[in-house]
Amino acid sequence: MNYGHPLHFGTFLTPRSDEPEAVVDLAQRSEALGYDLVTFQDHPYQPQLLDTWTLLGWVAGRTDRIRLAANVLNLPLRPPSVLARAAASLDVLSGGRLQLGLGAGAFWPAIAAMGGERRAPGEAVAALEEAIDVIREMLEGTGKTVRYQGDHYRLAGAQGGPLPAHDIPLWVGAMKPRMLRLIGRKADGWVATLSYLQPGQLAEGNRLIDAAAQRAGRDPREIRRILNISGRFAADRAGFLDGPPEVWVEDLLPLVVDEGVGTFILMIDDAGTIERFAREVAPVLRAAAEAAVPGAFAGPAPRRTSARAKRRQGIDYDGLPPSLRETAIEPGDIGYTRVKSTYMRGGAPGLVLQPGNTGEVVEALAFARAQTDVPLAIRSGGHGVSGRSTNDGGIVIDLARLHAIEVLDEANRLVRVEPGARWMDVATALAPYGWALTSGDYGGVGVGGLATAGGIGWLARQHGLTIDHIRAVEMVLADGTVVRARDEEHSDLFWAVRGAGANFGIVTSFEFTVDVVGNLGWAQFVFDASDTAGLLERWGQAIEASPRDVTSEILLGRPRTGQPLLAQAMVTVANDSPETIISRLQPIATIAPLYDQRIVITPYAALMANAPEGYHTGQGEPVAHSGLIAHITPAFAADAARLIRSGATYFFQMRSVGGAVADVPPDATAYANRAANFQVVAFGASRRRLDPLWDELRGQFDGMYLSFETDRSVERLHDAFPPPTLRRLRTLKARYDPDNVFRDNFNIAPLTLVD
Amino acid sequence: MPDNTPDLLFGTFSTPVAQPPHQAVDLAIVADRAGLDLVTFQDHPYQSAFYDTWTLLSYVAARTERVHLAGNVHNLPLRPPAVLARSAASLDRLSGGRVELGLGAGAFWEGIAAMGGRRLSPGEAVEALEEAIQIIRAIWDTSTRGGVRVEGTYYTVRGAKRGPAPAHDIGIWLGAYKPRMLRLTGRIADGWLPSLGYLSGGPADLAAMNRQIDEGAAQAGRDPAAIRRMLNIGGQFAAERRGFLAGPPRQWAEELADLWFTHRISAFILAVDDPYTIELFAGEVAPATRELAAAGATS
Ligand SMILES: Cc1cc2nc3c(=O)[nH]c(=O)nc-3n(C[C@H](O)[C@H](O)[C@H](O)COP(=O)(O)OP(=O)(O)OC[C@H]3O[C@@H](n4cnc5c(N)ncnc54)[C@H](O)[C@@H]3O)c2cc1C
Repeated sequence: MNYGHPLHFGTFLTPRSDEPEAVVDLAQRSEALGYDLVTFQDHPYQPQLLDTWTLLGWVAGRTDRIRLAANVLNLPLRPPSVLARAAASLDVLSGGRLQLGLGAGAFWPAIAAMGGERRAPGEAVAALEEAIDVIREMLEGTGKTVRYQGDHYRLAGAQGGPLPAHDIPLWVGAMKPRMLRLIGRKADGWVATLSYLQPGQLAEGNRLIDAAAQRAGRDPREIRRILNISGRFAADRAGFLDGPPEVWVEDLLPLVVDEGVGTFILMIDDAGTIERFAREVAPVLRAAAEAAVPGAFAGPAPRRTSARAKRRQGIDYDGLPPSLRETAIEPGDIGYTRVKSTYMRGGAPGLVLQPGNTGEVVEALAFARAQTDVPLAIRSGGHGVSGRSTNDGGIVIDLARLHAIEVLDEANRLVRVEPGARWMDVATALAPYGWALTSGDYGGVGVGGLATAGGIGWLARQHGLTIDHIRAVEMVLADGTVVRARDEEHSDLFWAVRGAGANFGIVTSFEFTVDVVGNLGWAQFVFDASDTAGLLERWGQAIEASPRDVTSEILLGRPRTGQPLLAQAMVTVANDSPETIISRLQPIATIAPLYDQRIVITPYAALMANAPEGYHTGQGEPVAHSGLIAHITPAFAADAARLIRSGATYFFQMRSVGGAVADVPPDATAYANRAANFQVVAFGASRRRLDPLWDELRGQFDGMYLSFETDRSVERLHDAFPPPTLRRLRTLKARYDPDNVFRDNFNIAPLTLVD
Repeated sequence: MPDNTPDLLFGTFSTPVAQPPHQAVDLAIVADRAGLDLVTFQDHPYQSAFYDTWTLLSYVAARTERVHLAGNVHNLPLRPPAVLARSAASLDRLSGGRVELGLGAGAFWEGIAAMGGRRLSPGEAVEALEEAIQIIRAIWDTSTRGGVRVEGTYYTVRGAKRGPAPAHDIGIWLGAYKPRMLRLTGRIADGWLPSLGYLSGGPADLAAMNRQIDEGAAQAGRDPAAIRRMLNIGGQFAAERRGFLAGPPRQWAEELADLWFTHRISAFILAVDDPYTIELFAGEVAPATRELAAAGATS
């Protein structure tokens, strides 16, 4: 009998309240010795013991790796709703190290003495079952409203959350049939103490659990078997677990091989025994078990039946290659909330793959391609606007784990960056060298999406686009080949990647030449935008008249009744002399009455450190249009002002390009509209309102930056790429991606499909 | 320093957000290193965006060295008092005597009931709080023999064992605003912990509230000075004066010292979620306030 769980070892330490340091010290030693788990009993009515939940929080703060559990928690004195919140909290704080061991309660007089409810054995089991239901629902995370009408627990719309860091297993301590059947139905682990069991009771318990699991439609392998053991080291065998390490291994091996025990927890407070077990029993037992049943302990445990029920059609989940299985996230997984949506979009993908290296990207792509008629999205930082980096029922290849940043050649300022890094991480990594790579205005944006499209950032006029700094890329093509593209090899692909990269493959690493960048002047002006058209026009003139060390963007929101319309302009001056900064800012500060201003001299990295940590919670679908323009003419300014005043856009923004961006010839990269001085974007709540007003502007544009355009009609392709560029892109698309695998971001149909 | 130098405390009140995961912990570490006296977190167990405050305090205690920690204030209706008492004593022992206990009678009864807690009227909640404090103090009191026996209307403890004894005399601080709670504070608490933002009349309200605490103390035959008057405050640093606690650190110090002189406020707990403000508060406001208070005390 074997349930396939990798073998784990833990300690069971007495949380004596008279010597709190002792138990903490043993917990830290357990970690240092390589134990997987440290556990503490919980008897809240017992003053000789520390409060176990408090101790778990403390030990979490004093350890880094080891998993933590109560062995087991006294439910009657710990209301499940608060316990669930506390468990989620501890799991997040500890970086996903909590296992929740629960017990129905015993020692009822002591529980009652503390003010707890006295329950008959049957009631206690029923209460535990209710608690498991409540806890599971609460652990589903924020957004879940829990209503529960039980005999013991009633919740009238409690909010779930916070979202745990990992799928906290619920283990139950049990010996009697009723509890064992409950474990089979609902729990993730059975905790038993060997010294309390009669011979044969372990096998009998397993049988009851397995049968109950099967009746509930579950796979018995979902349930880990955890056994508390005690023993003694001695020179010769004197009894069961009493003798030299070989005796221990000999006694424990059948429990693994025949009884399916997956975790042994050593119930001993003696440091010497704890150490000896870790060094001389655990590794030997692991090897012996592997030898006895080769390959049986490969894990991971099968997904819970309830999680499997949320799988989507058309995806062969069980066919996932082993290298991707552990990190893959399905709709029923706890981590799903963290990966389903992007910054701008709500999503409901059927499977999110998180490859950790190029080889795994190749496997992920092959797997995705083998699932016919399932949408595919590629994601790096999840800030796609044009890029649909999530979907409904499809596969997402999420490159977040590929986030390395390294200097390849310091003399030539050559750095290698993986797509899952965010631009704030890149800026921070380059800062110590006195370097920077112009990227965008927001530190949370990912490298992959931006560096395959353009990259209009705080230093655009001084240092050009992000793509202008790429020297080489490594990418995975549609057929799974991995190529390196640069001027000297796959030069046509290298050309295409810089502006239309999302159509040609998955970039797994970029090599950039970066710039020496000192501290910058950075200003934030809040202007009175009552004269909206005049303001926009004067801003445009001031920027065009500025030297290249000035880069700026201006931003207007939706007008609010009763309040003056305001515009916010941000200006960087790539110079750290206060005099120069002031003289550069002067002409911009005077374009309209000023409400507020802030001027700082700051490192580029500080400027980019502007995004919060955490996961994306986007909802719905964004609506945005984008255009490039040479000059902010009076006619354009008037039309733009009308759009802003209409309230159809809640976010209207213009950024300066030109300068160094225009130094690069239009045919040098797939980003061809180099002559423009400004990039314009408007986000709206609906196309119905935004489109008619935007159409007024459209005729005045000189091309478009695709990253901010959500319209997928073919005409937009012609806006983004001038005819020679588009023709070349189509030809290359037919060569590199004839089946149009990569189509989630501004799809260029292969020539063959069009004609 | 002269002996009559007032013993002033300065602390933080940071939001226990679960996202980003380490924000609340990092701010506590900043406060600890900056030399503040107290780190506190609100406790709203029905609030899904926040950490469970007791768990957070336990974790933060392990990550800090010197600073004292408290819930500001704990939601009693969702935390059974006998367990809370043992938890507080445990953390006090683990942390070397750095735990204080802020308690509230409960508010937001919708949220409490949603979590399965019992809904009480404000008057009942005050009575329940008094019973709870009785239980908590009795659990901590290991010098008395026999089990704890409190047959209350809201809580019943029959023979629970006493202990563990806290490592130091844990202060019980109450978040009190209404007369009944203020008198209770005077009768049985060690500290009073209101939020300035909740006082409709601003700092001027403190005078009448202090009087009610004093009356409560007198009733119970206690020295009113035994109850520390604390205050949760909010503010902004600015180059120039913009309003109360909105201006340069020196201005803050003057205003806080004035709260000490006028209203005997001796602990200032700043609602703050950024490290820069914590450092200014600890590095500039706290020493300047102490200096002003000491100068005023000796002059
Ligand atoms: C708040 C915000 C601010 C922004 N500011 C700027 C700015 O200042 N300047 C600017 O130029 N842009 C800016 N953008 C636009 C941004 O550059 C694009 O949306 C970009 O695609 C986001 O990159 P990502 O990796 O975060 O996005 P993702 O959503 O991860 O990816 C978007 C698309 O890019 C493609 N892609 C992603 N990774 C790869 C890869 N490794 N290989 C090939 N294709 C890939 C995919 O097709 C995907 O659909 C901003 C966007 C937002 C939301």
